[in-house]
Amino acid sequence: MATTTNSLTLTSTDLFDDSLSISNTSTCYKAGTTIGLDQTTGLTRTYLTATTVIDLFPVVKGTTNAVENGKVYIANLSEDETEFVTINIGDAVIGRLYAGDFMWMPWSPRAQHVNDIELAPSVATGMHVEFMAIHNFANIYPTGVDS
Amino acid sequence: MATINATINVASADLTSSPLALSNTMIMTKAGTNTGLEFTSGLVRRKLTATTAIDLVTVGAQMYGTPTASVANKIYIKNTGSSSVDYIDVAIGDKDADAGEELLATGGNSKITLGKLFGGDWMLIPFEGSANNDIIVVPSTAEATTIEWMLFFE
Repeated sequence: MATTTNSLTLTSTDLFDDSLSISNTSTCYKAGTTIGLDQTTGLTRTYLTATTVIDLFPVVKGTTNAVENGKVYIANLSEDETEFVTINIGDAVIGRLYAGDFMWMPWSPRAQHVNDIELAPSVATGMHVEFMAIHNFANIYPTGVDS
Repeated sequence: MATINATINVASADLTSSPLALSNTMIMTKAGTNTGLEFTSGLVRRKLTATTAIDLVTVGAQMYGTPTASVANKIYIKNTGSSSVDYIDVAIGDKDADAGEELLATGGNSKITLGKLFGGDWMLIPFEGSANNDIIVVPSTAEATTIEWMLFFE
């Protein structure tokens, strides 16, 4: 097993009349246990030069990880505030990550295509993105043609 | 405008043969600008005592305002419990969807599950806010499960 911690701080001094300060730390465990997740795709950094939808994390046919507890991190490294990437899970739009934005979410993929994590850049002029999954799935692999 | 900072740290000394130390900070801005998001739902706390699916965050007009769809909204969700066994499933779609996992239609009752939040787990994702993109949660137990969420929007 491995021990992987993840933490988030959310702060603002002017969103409210009072300050906002949220802080969380948790450990990436296998579902239903206190045993650490022990696989990762590694942190991938890629440069995308088309607006084509790509599968960052496709679900491999025949594997079912619906009961598992993976984690996904995605960041848009663009410095142009007008550029964004649209993140989908299958046909459902999760939302947009604009320049400098990141996301962190659980992932329990249930079915091929339906639960693929997908990304589409808003421009074809080149954008850097980073992404990583931490998991204990039977099988996934990063980056491929949208399916 | 407001300045809202979010910082993530992911670290491990033994997940891979070399240590992992990821750190990233973002300032939540409105779409296509350097102007900060200025609206929020506030930090909402709910206690769930059934395994029924609920629409945690619905799209469209709300008591806290009307989030614009397809921009730079963000949503934070946390399972405040401590159980490593009990969890909530988080999905996108409609709470009245069939039990089966379906491709999301532009209308009708369907959903796609993202994943599970066990006790102490949190997530921070963009919020699309368009039709049929409610955020749904389904507790795994009828024992009390308390969750907190907060929407930042424009």
